[in-house]
Amino acid sequence: MGGLQKKKYESGSATNYISRNKARKKLSLSLADFRRLCILKGIYPHEPKHKKKVNKGSTAQRTFYLLKDIRFLMHEPIVGKFREYKIFVRKLRKAYGKAEWGTAEKLRGNKPGYKLDHIIKERYPTFIDALRDVDDALSMCFLFSTFPRTGKCHVQTIELCRRLSVEWMNYIITLRSLRKVFLSIKGIYYQAEVLGQIITWLVPYQFAHDHPTDVDYRVMATFTELYTTLLGFINFRLYQTLNLVYPPKLDGKGEEESRAESEEDYAMDSERYMEKLSALSASLVRVVSTAEAEEAELDHFPAEGEDGEKLAERLKARQDQDRQEKLFEGLKFFLNREVPRESLAFVLRCFGAQVSWDKSLCIGSTYDVTDETITHHVVDRPSLEKQYINRYYVQPQWVYDCVNARMLLPVEDYFVGVTLPPHLSPFVEEKEGDYVPPEKLKLLALQKGERPEQEEEEEEEDNDDSEEEEDEDQSDDEDELKGMEEKQALGKASSVKVTPGEAKPVNRQRAEQEAKAEEKRLAVMMMKKRDKYLYDKIMFGKKRSVREANKMSAKRKALDEASKANKKKKLKK
Amino acid sequence: AYSSRTLHLQQSARNMAAARRHKRVAASQPGFLRLKPDLDHSASRIGHKKRVNKNKKKNWNKYSDIQDVEEFLEDVRLQERATGGLLSDKSDDGLFFVDVGEQKKKGKGLKPLRIDLILQPDSQVPPPKDILAYQQPNARKLRLMAQKAEKLAAMGVLPRRERLLQRRRIPGSEKPVANNDPARAFYDLWRPDRPDTADPYYLEQTKRRLVKRPEKLNVKPSLLPAVEVAAPGASYNPDFTSHQALLLEAHETEVAKLKAEEKLARQLAVRKEDLATEESVFREQVEGLIEEEEEKLEAEEDDEGTAVGPTAQTEKKTEKQRKREKADRVKELQKKAERKAIDSRQQLFQLRTISAELRRREQQTSVRRTRRKDQQEREKVQPRRLGKLRFQAPDLDVQLSDELSGSLRTLKPEGSILKDRFKSLQKRNLIEPRERAKFKRKFKVKYVEKREFREIQ
Repeated sequence: MGGLQKKKYESGSATNYISRNKARKKLSLSLADFRRLCILKGIYPHEPKHKKKVNKGSTAQRTFYLLKDIRFLMHEPIVGKFREYKIFVRKLRKAYGKAEWGTAEKLRGNKPGYKLDHIIKERYPTFIDALRDVDDALSMCFLFSTFPRTGKCHVQTIELCRRLSVEWMNYIITLRSLRKVFLSIKGIYYQAEVLGQIITWLVPYQFAHDHPTDVDYRVMATFTELYTTLLGFINFRLYQTLNLVYPPKLDGKGEEESRAESEEDYAMDSERYMEKLSALSASLVRVVSTAEAEEAELDHFPAEGEDGEKLAERLKARQDQDRQEKLFEGLKFFLNREVPRESLAFVLRCFGAQVSWDKSLCIGSTYDVTDETITHHVVDRPSLEKQYINRYYVQPQWVYDCVNARMLLPVEDYFVGVTLPPHLSPFVEEKEGDYVPPEKLKLLALQKGERPEQEEEEEEEDNDDSEEEEDEDQSDDEDELKGMEEKQALGKASSVKVTPGEAKPVNRQRAEQEAKAEEKRLAVMMMKKRDKYLYDKIMFGKKRSVREANKMSAKRKALDEASKANKKKKLKK
Repeated sequence: AYSSRTLHLQQSARNMAAARRHKRVAASQPGFLRLKPDLDHSASRIGHKKRVNKNKKKNWNKYSDIQDVEEFLEDVRLQERATGGLLSDKSDDGLFFVDVGEQKKKGKGLKPLRIDLILQPDSQVPPPKDILAYQQPNARKLRLMAQKAEKLAAMGVLPRRERLLQRRRIPGSEKPVANNDPARAFYDLWRPDRPDTADPYYLEQTKRRLVKRPEKLNVKPSLLPAVEVAAPGASYNPDFTSHQALLLEAHETEVAKLKAEEKLARQLAVRKEDLATEESVFREQVEGLIEEEEEKLEAEEDDEGTAVGPTAQTEKKTEKQRKREKADRVKELQKKAERKAIDSRQQLFQLRTISAELRRREQQTSVRRTRRKDQQEREKVQPRRLGKLRFQAPDLDVQLSDELSGSLRTLKPEGSILKDRFKSLQKRNLIEPRERAKFKRKFKVKYVEKREFREIQ
């Protein structure tokens, strides 16, 4: 037999992968630098399919990278910068060790730096690519901007994060593209639609700092470095698309107005502008005047192959959206000092409301509590002493629930001191047959335009009714099918007999339904065995989910009744 | 001014007589004053003359008497050093003063320091001027060049060196500002550039363009969304059922964890039969004390038993045996072939079973294929094993029913978002799970009581 004997681990997967340490040595970087480089360049470790082969027979767990990726990394100019920085640090340390302050100062002046622009361009070749990845960037920026300015990470980074997040919020306000808000125990989830992309981000509550020890701050800081650069470019581009001035400028009128006497108490001159921006109460300056831009009506071109129905659907969606965007238009809100100001101001302004707060609470308040034109006063305390008669006093949840329901909910449930209805997550989309909480059902009914009765008792009954109806709707099909089958079976079994016919009133709708059911049944009969099996399985699953949903609602009913009974007892007492 | 060297040369150029005459001339300069008057006895030295040949230059030097000239010049130099010029040239006011007796000195503090006096130059002769300090080499040429450059600059022509410098300054090569520098300029990163028409290979090799990023790298390593929204039960004011569902989930994970722990504890527990009893402890203690002799005997016996080695059996087969074996082999092969033929013939009648078998197998493979596909799909959203450690899912953030506040004001946020983000990065396979590096001390800490401390005690 001819040919050279093949050696082990010289081809195939063993040569396609490279262990982390080897890669690090190949690039002659320290582990920290290597990790940073990988994060910046978007090169992630891989899990090989056959680890033992890749690991040359050893079964030790290692981190592997694709060799091609590492080869690609070798072309990166930043690698050189990292090395330069290493040398810089060494020189600096030496200078300090020798107490050569002059040299140290000179070195500090020549500190090597690097830019990430080319990496961003490389990783996100188009703007939309970048926008798709902005979720992470936003969450990180909002998180870092809440960090205390001590240790842990650079103050400059924190300030940059704050600036970027404020810019983003201002953009969303101007675009009016906020869709959903969810107050969870962790933080606040926001969802917005920007240029057709659904963007979700998480914002921490204001005073929730504890620094967990099992988080690698260096890694997080590296991610933040990348994401701040990315978000900076995205913000700039987004502002351009809206013809807004970048860096954001407050509307001239607003600025003049708010140059009030007490301003000096809040911020130094250098910080005032940023603070006012972050107050979110004023609108931004546009390059082109706003009136022209907003007057323009969208033209509707039917897309090719799109029938009238779809077009109408689209138009309706568009109208809905427009209506939603103007949800709070014309309303004037006042925020009491105990409510989360920034979040509420952001949400309210996103839907066209006017917001203000106490002058001593924050910079940028536009009107006082005593303003007679205020329509809603957001309060989060059990009772309020001085109340004005011509405004609603609501709890903050009302605002968020209105946004999620896309309509102004009745304020009665949210008055001061009233136990709030549950805050439902807008991110849950119930499939057919899933359990739907009664509160949501109520909401759906409201959205359809039904007004619930004022009295509580009736309302609840109504609620129950609607629930049952819903359930019936869901189980209708199955019931019908069953009935038909039974009928069929009966028909077969009955003996043949001729009786004088009776003219039955033909219920056309019913006949249609029957025909449909018959068709379905025949189709089921004609199914292959395998398909039939699958079909049965699916149907079984559906029935099960319906059953479970019924069970849940029964439970809920029982609970409600129990609580009602309790209430009544209490009342009697 | 006289220079001794030039004078000397002059001297040696003339003959001796002329030199003597010159000397006398020098000494009897009209109006020349000597500083040291006692030196004028050159006449007494001229008495006895030694005759020497003057046709050799060596002799000129050796036997010409220049003593008086030297002395004269010495005196001139001394005068210059001491008084700053020839005495004869000085006016009377510079040489004499009118003695009006002792005068009182005015300021005592004005007396210079002694060190300053020491450091004062001894001689009154001013130091020679350095001509080079006053003149520039190539001054004329340089002046002309500068004039020309000025003229060109007025016309807007830059010199070559400046031109080269400006050409080298590529926009990207300026010192970059840090990414978090607030003074950073902004521009549209995605503005349409005009494409480079040059050869891409050339551009890459000369580092004018970065190497193209492989498309594969833009694929995310996991299908999970960047921000996973918390369950509806994690609302700050949840509805009853979803909250219960979340609690149940959290409870189940806790139970599973507990079970795993218990299992581990059970597996690691010491079995009862492995525990040392009194008897076994005693036996261990007396091990080797009692049964020594018996063991020795046994060992000897063993040695005897094992001494006999296996005997090799090498008897040759007979011709007859070999032939029979061969025949057997042939027969066996024939039998096998026949069996095979029969079997294949028989398969014709088993067609139905065979086809059924085939169908069964196909079905099996298809089932396996779908299962594998499903598995792959599922793995796309699973965290992979990327390093030494597995991904540890973070604890579910829940608030118990009595912890729920029901109002935003009294809400106590649960969990850390920083940790959530970090775990999300790990879950999406962007970074490998790691343990915090343990702090390892290189040298042992040594405690020393300081002397001051000891003294106090």
